[in-house]
Amino acid sequence: MHGTKRKQWSKEALNRKRLNDVKKIKDYRKLVDKVLTLKESQVYDLKSLKSTTELLEINPEFNTAWNFRRDIIDNIRNELDSEFWDNELKFTMKTLKRFPKVYWIWNHRVWVLSHHVDSSIKIWQKELFIVNQMLELDSRNYHGWHYRRIVIQNMERLGNKSLNHQEFQYTTEKINQNISNFSAWHQRVQLISMMFDHDEIANKLDLLKDELDYITNAMFTGADDQAVWDYICWFIEYDNVFKTLELKEYTKMLNDLQTNIVMINDDDKDFSGKENPWCLKVLILIENLQCKRGIKKSDDVLKSKEWLAKLIEVDPLRANRYRYLLDSQYHE
Amino acid sequence: MLSPERRPSMAERRPSFFNSTGPNANPLIVPHLAGIEDPLPETTPEKVDVLIVGSGMVESVLAAALSWQGSTVLHIDKNDYYGDTSATLTVDQIKRWVDQINNGSIPFYENAKLYVSTLIGSGKYASKDFGIDLSPKILFTKSDLLSILVKSRVHQYLEFQSLSNFHTYENDSFEKLTNTKQEIFADQKLPLMTKRNLMKFIKFVLNWDKEPEIWKPYANRSMAEFLVEKFRLEKPQVFELLFSIGLCYNIDTKVPEALQRIRRYLSSFDVYGPFPVLYSKYGGAGELSQGFCRSAAVGGATYKLNEKLVSYNPTTNVALFSDGSKVNVVEKVIMSPTQISEDSKNVPKQPYQIHRLTCIVEKDCSTWFSEGESAAIVVFPPGSLKSGNKQVVQAFILGSGSECCPSGTCIWYLSTTEQGVRAELDLDAALEAMELSIIRETSTDIGDDEDIVQFGSNGQTLINSVKLGKSFKEYVPREKLQFLFKLYYTQRTSTPPFEVVDPTLFNVNKDTEKFDPEASDNGVLYTSMPSAEISYDEVVTAAKVLYEKIVGSDDDFFDIDFEDEDDLPGSSQDYENAIEDDDEDMGIDKSESAEFVGEMEI
Repeated sequence: MHGTKRKQWSKEALNRKRLNDVKKIKDYRKLVDKVLTLKESQVYDLKSLKSTTELLEINPEFNTAWNFRRDIIDNIRNELDSEFWDNELKFTMKTLKRFPKVYWIWNHRVWVLSHHVDSSIKIWQKELFIVNQMLELDSRNYHGWHYRRIVIQNMERLGNKSLNHQEFQYTTEKINQNISNFSAWHQRVQLISMMFDHDEIANKLDLLKDELDYITNAMFTGADDQAVWDYICWFIEYDNVFKTLELKEYTKMLNDLQTNIVMINDDDKDFSGKENPWCLKVLILIENLQCKRGIKKSDDVLKSKEWLAKLIEVDPLRANRYRYLLDSQYHE
Repeated sequence: MLSPERRPSMAERRPSFFNSTGPNANPLIVPHLAGIEDPLPETTPEKVDVLIVGSGMVESVLAAALSWQGSTVLHIDKNDYYGDTSATLTVDQIKRWVDQINNGSIPFYENAKLYVSTLIGSGKYASKDFGIDLSPKILFTKSDLLSILVKSRVHQYLEFQSLSNFHTYENDSFEKLTNTKQEIFADQKLPLMTKRNLMKFIKFVLNWDKEPEIWKPYANRSMAEFLVEKFRLEKPQVFELLFSIGLCYNIDTKVPEALQRIRRYLSSFDVYGPFPVLYSKYGGAGELSQGFCRSAAVGGATYKLNEKLVSYNPTTNVALFSDGSKVNVVEKVIMSPTQISEDSKNVPKQPYQIHRLTCIVEKDCSTWFSEGESAAIVVFPPGSLKSGNKQVVQAFILGSGSECCPSGTCIWYLSTTEQGVRAELDLDAALEAMELSIIRETSTDIGDDEDIVQFGSNGQTLINSVKLGKSFKEYVPREKLQFLFKLYYTQRTSTPPFEVVDPTLFNVNKDTEKFDPEASDNGVLYTSMPSAEISYDEVVTAAKVLYEKIVGSDDDFFDIDFEDEDDLPGSSQDYENAIEDDDEDMGIDKSESAEFVGEMEI
């Protein structure tokens, strides 16, 4: 576990611990047997529910126990009131706090929310609030982000409206807090695509122009950050960007980016003597796009050869890939 | 005997938290200290390993280190309060202290001038409502003193609060620092290339000692030149980095020192939260030094106040006190220069001056503090004041939430390393600037100007600082700031501004032939007077140097292992985690139980 000092135990302390553990292991085995027997005999009542609770508190990764628990709940559904469901939510929350990365707990929580007697948009809104808090604690926990998408989907279904713009704002917030947040950038890609597909953007040109400013800012502030460059690569290749901007604006965008990236790369070379591999890669991509869209002709002077040669120097781990590209695309 | 007018001690205040959680929780007991909760001893031991005279920061840390190492320690102070040069005093105690300076009984302090409003004492406020530090200090979260506070558990006797707000005074206004990646990214006013340059510098400075190729060529030049030439930064960023983040004193600061200081700030940021510095409530260095004394007492040291060392004879090893009693000192006598008696001839020269101005104002000042906090730092870079200051003026502001002053008041600690007459001019100019600022910032006269506050496209509020500056310039203050207390004094020190204590300072003259027969302090090892440094940085280094001179090596300095009865699986010893860990997931993992690794059985 991160951040805890390891303790060296003396022989007696170790023996004492072993004795304690022997009893614990015995008790645990007894509990497992009890639960499995109940499951086999299909005993669906509150008592067996209690046994699964005991077991899951010790070992929440025992998926069979979760399945049995759901079977029990299904079978005694009619006896259960909304208080039971609330308690079930509390139980998952308690175990999540102790084990925030166990898939089965997240699954169970989603199941409870979907089957809750009072399943309405309110529960999901509360859920969103909880996810926000978890993402405050650890904004790069992909369980959190995946769960967030499920929550949002349910809210959209029940509320009958799209939450894409609000979610887009949220990713901006998260990236502002930490430029390296891959999950947030990834979410941004998903959201922009969805917004275009469902025609949810009032002024497409403005959105894209703002986005261009945003990524330029990110490029200068975090020139070594893979998350930023990956996003830029997606953005300039995204077909809706080309369609909206149209050739003239698109050409200008690529030119501006090229100028800025060259500036950053030259600055890196000046400062540390080495060029920036990300800059070089994106410059090559830009030139490819310029050729693809007819901005550059095939007999124009292409600098990609030069950039690939530099990449071989600066990024020797991938030298063979660059050589392959050089040979296959830029042979004389 | 003891001043009846002292403030409640750390043992007498109800602890506002209990120690740890879980079944083994017990209320924290702060050990008693002679002269505070316990009476002073009537007699002192006949023989000790070490005699320490003066209970300032360095001496108290040393006392604790030696006691826990096993040496017998007698720790005395001629005053009727603990803390010496680091003490935290009430208004009445300051009055007496000022008198003592002016009649010569406190060496190396001079030019003390004091004004106290009649509102304190007979009117609204009592003298002991205030706890005034003679040597105000802030604690960086990544520092050797903090590690020792945790190791020795003295931190349990103290309460700390965070300090996030560092302001730089520029063009008549107080700008707050932007130094984190998030703030740089979000800053609408910074040009893109500047953002890049700042990020490059921050990345470099965190590991600067591993990249000599970048800074070594500038090793003997000033940091300002390095920042401008190598990183292409401009004056506003250079000044912020040097003076507000690095807390340097002037523009000529050399590269290695500045890099060390800037890194100290940046690496302290995010250790416990989004702030680099802590301050202690109820008093700064005064509380900390007292805490170490208590720890030393638990470790076996004997404490006595009102005890003055008259002379020490290095041949017979006998130390003689003013009340006629004696003690045989086996190893060493350590003394603070402020505790010397007549005939002390071996005190090191203290050629440098630190000028301080401490004020108490009847104003809340919370506009300067971050939410939930009660302190801030303001830095006046060279040339920013009306007096044309060549050296920085540093101000440390404490509000009532620090429990050092009552609600509605605030303590302002100003200091400068400027020498001579100019110093007071600079301090006065800084004071005036602060006065003007706090009056207009808390005034309701500015009114609603819609152009001043704007909203950005993503909902952020932006302040139009140009417009704001304009309305300030046209502003004429209607009220005057009420001062409750104003204290000027000059303290002398042997440490030049900007350096660490020189170890040769401690070369005790052992050659008996060179002993001056008239001197009362032959063979005494003198500690260093506090320097102008606002952090506690020099303290542990100085204590360690002395420790090594006494014990032989500093390997076991505070190498304490407190054996707890509840050292069993299940008990959580979170204290050790705080320093080691810089994992992002700390917030979540903290609730899990600790992992234990046993010894391998063969």
